[in-house]
Amino acid sequence: MTTAETPRQIAWARRRASLRRTWREFAGQRAALTGLVLLGATVVVALLLPLISDQSGLDVTKATGAPLSPPNGDFWLGTDNFGRSVLLMTVWGTRISLLVGFSAALLSVVIGTLIGITAAHFGGWVSATLLRFTDFFLVLPSLILAIALSAVLPRGVGTIIIAIGLTAWPSTARLVRAQTLTIESRPYIERAHALGGGHLHIIGRHVLPGVMPLVLANTTLVVGNAVIADATLSFLGVGDPNSVTWGLVLENALNNGAISRGAWWNVLPPGIAIVLVVLFFTLVGRGLETVFNPRLKK
Amino acid sequence: MTTPLLQLTGLNVTYAVGDSDVPAVRGVDLTLDPGGTLGVAGESGSGKSTVAMSVLRLLPRTAKIDGEILLDGEDVTTMKWGRLRAVRWAEASVVFQGAMHALNPVRRIGEQIAEPLRLHPPSGKALTDTEVDARVAELLTQVDLPPSRAGAYPHELSGGQKQRVMIAMALACSPRLIIADEPTTALDVIVQAQVLTLLTRLVADRHIGLIMISHDLSVLAATCERIAVMYDGQIVEEGPSAEVMGAPKHEHTRALAAAFPTVGDPVSRFAPATSTPLPPEPPDREAGEPLLAAENLRVSFRDRTGKRIDAVAGVDLTVSRDEIVALVGQSGSGKTTFARTLLGLQKPDSGVVRYDGKPVPASGAGLKAYRRQVQLVLQDPTSALNPAHTVYEAVAEGPRIHQLADERAVVHRALEAAELRPAEKYADRLPHQLSGGQRQRVVIAGALALEPSVVVADEPVASLDASVRGEILGLLLRLRRELGLAALVITHDLGLAWNIADRVAVMYHGELVETGTVEQVLLDPQHEYTKSLLAALPGGTAQRRTVET
Repeated sequence: MTTAETPRQIAWARRRASLRRTWREFAGQRAALTGLVLLGATVVVALLLPLISDQSGLDVTKATGAPLSPPNGDFWLGTDNFGRSVLLMTVWGTRISLLVGFSAALLSVVIGTLIGITAAHFGGWVSATLLRFTDFFLVLPSLILAIALSAVLPRGVGTIIIAIGLTAWPSTARLVRAQTLTIESRPYIERAHALGGGHLHIIGRHVLPGVMPLVLANTTLVVGNAVIADATLSFLGVGDPNSVTWGLVLENALNNGAISRGAWWNVLPPGIAIVLVVLFFTLVGRGLETVFNPRLKK
Repeated sequence: MTTPLLQLTGLNVTYAVGDSDVPAVRGVDLTLDPGGTLGVAGESGSGKSTVAMSVLRLLPRTAKIDGEILLDGEDVTTMKWGRLRAVRWAEASVVFQGAMHALNPVRRIGEQIAEPLRLHPPSGKALTDTEVDARVAELLTQVDLPPSRAGAYPHELSGGQKQRVMIAMALACSPRLIIADEPTTALDVIVQAQVLTLLTRLVADRHIGLIMISHDLSVLAATCERIAVMYDGQIVEEGPSAEVMGAPKHEHTRALAAAFPTVGDPVSRFAPATSTPLPPEPPDREAGEPLLAAENLRVSFRDRTGKRIDAVAGVDLTVSRDEIVALVGQSGSGKTTFARTLLGLQKPDSGVVRYDGKPVPASGAGLKAYRRQVQLVLQDPTSALNPAHTVYEAVAEGPRIHQLADERAVVHRALEAAELRPAEKYADRLPHQLSGGQRQRVVIAGALALEPSVVVADEPVASLDASVRGEILGLLLRLRRELGLAALVITHDLGLAWNIADRVAVMYHGELVETGTVEQVLLDPQHEYTKSLLAALPGGTAQRRTVET
């Protein structure tokens, strides 16, 4: 059955070629490539943390340093009011931030894509209902909604993910709907209808593959927002008090008077970490958008 | 001896694409005397537009021009920028292709016609507003538009009116040469005839030289004294119109001439211009029972004000087994809506579509089964294929939906039936790697893969080149003769009906005004509208002219 294999092999070869082309275009943008490399490094560090550092340093009872000591040889970024290393806490904060960021973004993109495609494909009253529903979420202050949700649900990382995921999808839904409408106006959709294709066929074979690139670019941008939302929620005290997150470090610094005592080393490291991770995601997302959205190409 | 108005000697144009040079025009020599008219014919990519645009140096930066372009004895290629600017529009002007897009949608047409007047004031000093207005009114009158239309925006005008505005713009500075690039493509037959008459009259009255570019030889023959045929960047034939049209020497000219058959010419009846011979007519051909029938079909849309507009107003039409029916009408006559309704893509307000005597169900499994029997071929094959799907996937789409067994064999059979041989060669290509004609064959193969009994083809050759046109029409005729495949071909082109159809239905404002066999309707039209369609055919004008001289 060598002949039967050939088209598949050729199809894969073409897919590889198109991937290579996408990669070349992406890598041609220095900012996007830098963002990707640094983001990759961050993810690798976060994954390897249990191997390369000692988690016990995060425990208040086992902390070795003096409270609020400024940066020195033992503690490069100083300590908090319990004597824990700020550097260690900031680095460990990456794990939760990335986990929440990715999961929440995934959840919101799945919801957004589903609602966007459904609204655009079926039109009529389905579209009207879904769009009003989307508008409702769009105008609702998402932070307050998230706070309300995490107050009702049991405390924990899962709650934060759900709270962010359920509030961040409307912009994705709008984007996907617009793209779906563009694709569905093409004559090849009419041809698929005439061939007897049903809703599933048209969405699965034509719409979804056409929408996916933009959704992918959108996802990376949503992750950045989710990281910020996670830090905000933890800072406001509705996060999981047992896991170390950047928002929680900031909250501690505020509540324990670190700021009024001029302990800048308790505030700057997690703050800068948030800025950097969001920046990496934005750089990668913008780069992907430039590759996939022909209108942004010069 | 007078200096020729335009003289091209050894013109070469190459485009730099990536690292390599692609020659677009190779060694073209052309001469046009003052007041003369010259038609340049050729298919897309033959370099005809490049030749025309090189006269005013309107080519992109990547183009490299060799040779001499003498406009009134002056070499355009060596002109200084200021001189070139003065020559553009004042000496020679262009009627651009696609009037729909060449006008600025947010400016009134009066202002747009005035633009060249303000840039190139005829007497050297700027015109006052009243002078400009007067000249615009004069120009509009010349192109048979009421001067009051100067305040209209492009979207308020019809296609033909927009093309007249373009001609008025070209005339604004009383140039000595007008270059018209496909001035009537995308216009209806009747409008096309009006625009051509207008151009011919203006050129003759004002003693202006005209270069007209078209892929349609009959259009050129109707307006130009001489025709040059271009192929692959070279001029393969040049001569007086009647000679080129009547006795073409080069085989490419013959293909172009045959692609637009003269209605009433027995030679082209059931003989589209195709290189593969057609199978003979099956001997036992008889009028079959109606396979697909529309009964009093009515579809209406609401316009912005909520008023009902009948797109299809009570149409009865049948298509029988082993028969090609041509549905003819101009754009906006409702023929596409009718086709979509036949296929169940549009719900009728009243009336029924019957297949094999039974009404077609509006949804569900019944509709799906019906769609296996009746297939659609769309106008523009480029947009009818998903650019990300290979030929194989595009053709396999139907069989997969209907879960046919042995998909690979079905697809290959369909590709071969659509004359894409060998099938393996095409199966893995993407649509952009194919030519326009091959793409249309893929769309046809996609329809054939379901082994339908009727194909509804909506303008199947309107966006294709002349030589490909004949091949696709030949394919439809061959499929009918070999497989007994019935077809409803929707077209604005009466020549197509003459080429392949058995019966013709003429549609006007949503109604069928005349139905009958091709010979009845096209040779002895009864309805006024059919008569005006036939009279507007440029081939008709050409014939009349040859008879007169």
